[in-house]
Amino acid sequence: MSDTPPTNPAELDIRPVKQRIWKRLSLVWLVPIAALSISLWAAWQNYSDRGTLITISFENASGIQAGETVIKYRDVTVGEVESVEFAEGLTVVLVHARVDKTVAPYLDDDAQFWVVRPDVSVRGITGLDTVLSGVYITGNWDTEADVAQFEFTGLERPNLTTASQRGTAVILRTSDGGSITAGAPVLHKGIQVGYLEKPELSFDGDQVVVNAFIESPYDRRITTSTRFWDTSGFSVSFGAGGVSLDVSSLASLIEGGIAFDTVVSGGAPIRDGHRFDIFPDNASARDSLFTDPNAEVLEVAALFEESVTGLTAGADVRFQGIRIGEVSDINAIVVGDGDDAQVRLQAVLAIEPSRIGLGGEATADDALALLSEFVARGLRARMVTGNILAGTLYVELIELEEALPAIVTLTSGRYPVIPTTESQISDVAATAEGLLARINALPVEDLMDGAIDMMDSIERLANDEATRGVPASIVALADETRALVQSDDLQAIPNDLRNVIADLNGLVTEAEETGLIADFDLAIETATAAAKNIEVATQNLPAITAEIEALTAKANSLEFEALVTSATDTLAAIDGFIGTEEAVALPGSLNGALEEMRGFLAEVREGGAIENVNDALASANEAARAIEDAVSTLPALSARANRLVAQTEAVIESYSERSRFGAETLQTLRDIQEAADAVSALSRQIQRNPNSLLTGR
Amino acid sequence: MQDTICKRCSGALQSRDTESLQKVWAWLLAGMIAYLPANLYPMLLTSTLTERSESTIIGGVVELVEYGSLGIAAIVFIASVMIPVGKFIAIAYLAISVQRRSMASQHERHKAYEVVEFIGRWSMIDVFVVAILSALVQLDTIATINPGIAAVSFALSVIFTMLSAQAFDSRLIWDADRTQQ
Repeated sequence: MSDTPPTNPAELDIRPVKQRIWKRLSLVWLVPIAALSISLWAAWQNYSDRGTLITISFENASGIQAGETVIKYRDVTVGEVESVEFAEGLTVVLVHARVDKTVAPYLDDDAQFWVVRPDVSVRGITGLDTVLSGVYITGNWDTEADVAQFEFTGLERPNLTTASQRGTAVILRTSDGGSITAGAPVLHKGIQVGYLEKPELSFDGDQVVVNAFIESPYDRRITTSTRFWDTSGFSVSFGAGGVSLDVSSLASLIEGGIAFDTVVSGGAPIRDGHRFDIFPDNASARDSLFTDPNAEVLEVAALFEESVTGLTAGADVRFQGIRIGEVSDINAIVVGDGDDAQVRLQAVLAIEPSRIGLGGEATADDALALLSEFVARGLRARMVTGNILAGTLYVELIELEEALPAIVTLTSGRYPVIPTTESQISDVAATAEGLLARINALPVEDLMDGAIDMMDSIERLANDEATRGVPASIVALADETRALVQSDDLQAIPNDLRNVIADLNGLVTEAEETGLIADFDLAIETATAAAKNIEVATQNLPAITAEIEALTAKANSLEFEALVTSATDTLAAIDGFIGTEEAVALPGSLNGALEEMRGFLAEVREGGAIENVNDALASANEAARAIEDAVSTLPALSARANRLVAQTEAVIESYSERSRFGAETLQTLRDIQEAADAVSALSRQIQRNPNSLLTGR
Repeated sequence: MQDTICKRCSGALQSRDTESLQKVWAWLLAGMIAYLPANLYPMLLTSTLTERSESTIIGGVVELVEYGSLGIAAIVFIASVMIPVGKFIAIAYLAISVQRRSMASQHERHKAYEVVEFIGRWSMIDVFVVAILSALVQLDTIATINPGIAAVSFALSVIFTMLSAQAFDSRLIWDADRTQQ
């Protein structure tokens, strides 16, 4: 419609538009072009920025969701799971994920992936964030781009060591993996400096091998002289300081733990993968410092026919008393085949070459060669009792002189077999049984009865009044006897005799001077007669000694009951003897006689007149005779003493030599004997040389 | 072309917008281009404590249907899918009918044009919802809603479509009819 002016309407000018199409193009077209180009650019950008597709295979994909689960590297999201599917045959779950192009080149063959899930352990809680956010996949790879891979196998459990972690991985060997678990701490001076990976059985199943990772810079503390030991659990020790409870750490209490220390210097630095043994405790680890635990060990087998009860793994292997190794294993093997097959007990002996005289660099082959040589010379293995009470055994290598020829068998099994010989096992049970049987056979009851009887008898005797009186009486007797023997009178006799002789000497000298030899002969004869008398008298003195000696021999035959009465009698008799006037007077009369003789001789000397010589000699004769008379009483005295000794005999012999009474008695007898000896000696001297009585020589 | 001058204001007068159809097609095309990412990319980025979800328009509708909220699903579907697509079709139809000098009823086509123009502003309802949710639900870690790329694309698509409808000169319907006569 168009406006029509009320007056003079203008002519409607309508013309079709005839313009070239590009001239008629509107600027508006820029808008869709811009939109399209932006879209295309965005699409291309999106496509080109799309990450690299990788595939990770897992046993199960618990918690993994396509489009949501991310892949993280050092806690930075670097990718996302696109899809989850099964591999052909439903063997594994394939997780397809896109990772950033920037990290894709680093995904080489050392890349590892695992699913992070919440994990609660004694060391703490990890992966807690995944409780809310859901699981995620963590990747770990080093920072060096190698040949990129696109397919990976996911780990079931996180690897504790990340590839970028700095430190040293060592391999630890132990015979018992019960006390260690994956993730258990490795301690150094009580500080955790590393951790253990998952323990695994060694290839041959003999040992448990566990990788340990020691973080830098603590790994510098490890050298070849480092020792590792087990700190798991706790130890209670009793000592002078009381009870000591040693718990390393709560984590190591539950999970087990390994500690290490380098005590001695001089170890060489180690590389990744160095092997160490785990010792059961700190003490044994330190003890082992002087042997190289990594030295080659020669393992030989010994087949025993006896029971190996008491022989345990770890028992010593000794050669000439020196420990050269240990029993590493005991098991039963079948020897021979078919009908000849029999089960033998095999002890595997781990022998350290360095301990049998070979150098530190000696190999197991060297040791085997040496051992073969020894075996050819008669070396055999046998079991020997180590501890009788515990019944433990150890293996001893012994060289037998008469051994049958044998060699080390190299082909029969895993280990070279060294020949064995009959073992030397002391059976503690049998020995103890024999001992008990012999004790049992002893006549203990009879012995006891006899002892009781004897004690009864002694008691009865001791309680007897008479018995009690005996010692006192005997002591008194002994005292009196000694007093008699030691009396000055008796002792003075020899001196007096000597004086007499001296005087005679002087007299004879004078007589010689006066030349009256002829008359002198008579005097000499008289003196000789006197001497003879003295001889007779003294002959009894040796008899006394003999009697005393015989006394002891007869002691045992006497009845004790009778002894008491006879002893009493004897004492009375001795008392009587001691008390007699004769005994008392004897020394005095003898003395008197000698005094008389001396007085005579003095007179002779003083007189000096030759004419009186005859009288003098006659007087001398008389004097000698007087001496003879006096001496003639000596036999009587000897006889009395003899009787006395005979009577004392029974008393003395009834008592022990060592009792006080016996000692007293012996003392007395000795005194008597001494006195008798003195007399006897004098007599002998006179007898040998009667002239000396006159000449004084 | 000799333009008629307005005798009052000396402005160039034009009885018909000769570039109308060009503008219509251009805006329509831009709107359709923008509509593609609006459907391919997520509209809402919802992060709650436990999960983070992205939902596209169609995905959201499907989810709503699965949860049993058929009414809301229908509203979202109509407002976000049927109306924009219907507008594309309607505008394209009008433009083609003018170009091809269609014999269809002028009245019907006028009505269609009126409806398209009227309903165009309501297409922004989705964008408003997203804008309001994004502004309100910002509770840090507990729950956060952010607009996705699709929201921007959708808004652009609606704007372009509205401009396209505006650019259509409804008098062309008459001209076509008259020319035929």
